[in-house]
Amino acid sequence: MSTPTSPYNPRRANGPARHDATGEGLDLDPEAFDDGFGFEAIEEIAWDDQPLTQSAPQIETADPARVSVAVDCASKIYRIRSGSEHKNSTKRIGRHLQRALGSGWSEIPALDELSFVVNRGETVGVIGTNGSGKSTLMKLLTGKIRPSSGEVYATSTPVMLGVNAALVRQISGRENIKLGCLAMGLSPKEAKQRFDMIVEISGLHNALDMPLKAYSSGMASRLQFAIATSVDPDILLIDEALNTGDAQFRARTKKRLDEVRAQAGCVFLVSHSLGTIKQMCTRVIWIEQGRMLADGDPEWVCAQYQEYTDHKSNGRMRAAQIVYDRTQLKLSPIQVEFTDGTRPTKAG
Amino acid sequence: MAAPAAERRTPSFQLGPQRVVQMDGDQLVRVGARPGLLRYIRNIWAFRHFLQYDAHARTSSQNNLDSLGRFWMVMNPLLQAAVYFFIFGYILETHRGIVNFIGYLIIGVLTFRFIQGAVVSGSNSIAGNQQVVQAFNFPRACLPISSTVRELFATVPTFVVMAVLVYFIGDYQIADMQRADITLDWKWLMFFPAIFLGLLVMTGLSLILARVVANYNDVKHLISIGVRLWFYASAVIFSVDRFADRGHDWIITVMHYNPAFCILDIIRDAWLYDGLGEPFRWIVLGGWAVGALSIGMIIFWRGEETYGRER
Repeated sequence: MSTPTSPYNPRRANGPARHDATGEGLDLDPEAFDDGFGFEAIEEIAWDDQPLTQSAPQIETADPARVSVAVDCASKIYRIRSGSEHKNSTKRIGRHLQRALGSGWSEIPALDELSFVVNRGETVGVIGTNGSGKSTLMKLLTGKIRPSSGEVYATSTPVMLGVNAALVRQISGRENIKLGCLAMGLSPKEAKQRFDMIVEISGLHNALDMPLKAYSSGMASRLQFAIATSVDPDILLIDEALNTGDAQFRARTKKRLDEVRAQAGCVFLVSHSLGTIKQMCTRVIWIEQGRMLADGDPEWVCAQYQEYTDHKSNGRMRAAQIVYDRTQLKLSPIQVEFTDGTRPTKAG
Repeated sequence: MAAPAAERRTPSFQLGPQRVVQMDGDQLVRVGARPGLLRYIRNIWAFRHFLQYDAHARTSSQNNLDSLGRFWMVMNPLLQAAVYFFIFGYILETHRGIVNFIGYLIIGVLTFRFIQGAVVSGSNSIAGNQQVVQAFNFPRACLPISSTVRELFATVPTFVVMAVLVYFIGDYQIADMQRADITLDWKWLMFFPAIFLGLLVMTGLSLILARVVANYNDVKHLISIGVRLWFYASAVIFSVDRFADRGHDWIITVMHYNPAFCILDIIRDAWLYDGLGEPFRWIVLGGWAVGALSIGMIIFWRGEETYGRER
């Protein structure tokens, strides 16, 4: 997923040195020179880890009252059980054993280390092609999974609005609404108060007493969305998949979403629709192949992204890679530092 | 934990200036961090309505695929008791030395069914509810606790059936069985504290097993074997004294410290033999309840941050 699809490898003047030590860069075979003159004694000059163009880091101070979310070098490598992992195993015995057992671990790097700080009042768009790590970033932000390295800090636990709210298939829509409300931490009284609003948004007046397995997938996702929007979180994450449903439902959801967005302190919006992003966001983060490529002005980032996807969809892999590299060159990465002893450890 | 700031590597190449943002982290919390134990328990208490509603909703929908519906909640235990009676009472004749064998067997089989169900469903409660875990933020201990409570709700009809059966045919004699009169009096109420303590033990075991199964799925296969062993170590279908005259004294010791045996023995004493249960049984059971629940809670709480990940 995170490997570039094209064989093109840009010449990186200030890229990291390769320590292959096989003499790749030499015109001649080093073996031929092995005549006692101590060819191996000549040391390959390693590039500095810090590129020459690196200037001293600019130090900024963030206003602690305004910071909403701080992501500090978070990365994620999924480690999941896989039955076909033996194909990649290098050890012979291990491979046979894994094939016989049909089990093994496979490691899937989903997100490289990335850092950013989001202030109160910002609406951040997150864009990227499929499989680029957007959803993983969202899961890290909500705390559903822990980053493999680094941490995510926030003023309160961010809440994700999406169609992933779990519904229990055997029980009716009415019971699912109540169960969902209680699972989000509402009291039975609050759950009762919001019941009508949820029914209103979902538009499922007639289907409330049917068991959920009788619902069509569209109806189920409407119900999920309606349940998810019944809370008013301070830090809000909105997933693109909300754009399901018919025009009537979309109009209703838009109204409710605007309400929720208006009272939220800080919003993340994941979408493939650049129009929505440009319209709503004050800042855009572009994640590609598990890396943060750009973080900044919506117009500029969206233009780069548009160019990249155009090249990609037309099969111009080299051009796409050039856009990728060019965009990344302009990124000025940040590093989060906490003043002494204030790195948060406590739970929210 | 977070890597120290000095060890961070910079991205492989970039031209934009490196920026460092300094801030005061007092306002922030770590997302998804596990709260302290006391706070965690308070959180569970705050989610008690969720817990209770979840258990209730799933119990009432348990049998709605069957055309006979909840009738099976009563029928299942009846059939099971009949099968055990036929094999162990009638063919293998394990009833020797037991007074009121039919009542003894019914109480044993049906109560152990509850114990077994609570532990098995509790152990699977995290691994089998991955969707719920990933969708909502609630203290994860709600799930094992809720599944144990759900098992209790689902077993209420069984307990009613059990009481009726024991009262009417518990002292029925077949062939050479011994008999003592069964009288319905206030001592029957000892059933409730015994089941309550049992429920605490089951909750503790569920919490421990739920964490183990969530981390190592393989353990699931061992649990059914373990429950089977536990069944034979709890004197469900035969009397403890069977082992006494064969020199297997250690088995008796194991049984006396076995919480499941304590529950069965207390209920049998109260319902069949007009007693209040031996004090030693109550002590052992109480010890298990306190120990299993507190140890289970600590073990489960320590893994709180690991349950949501993909498996």
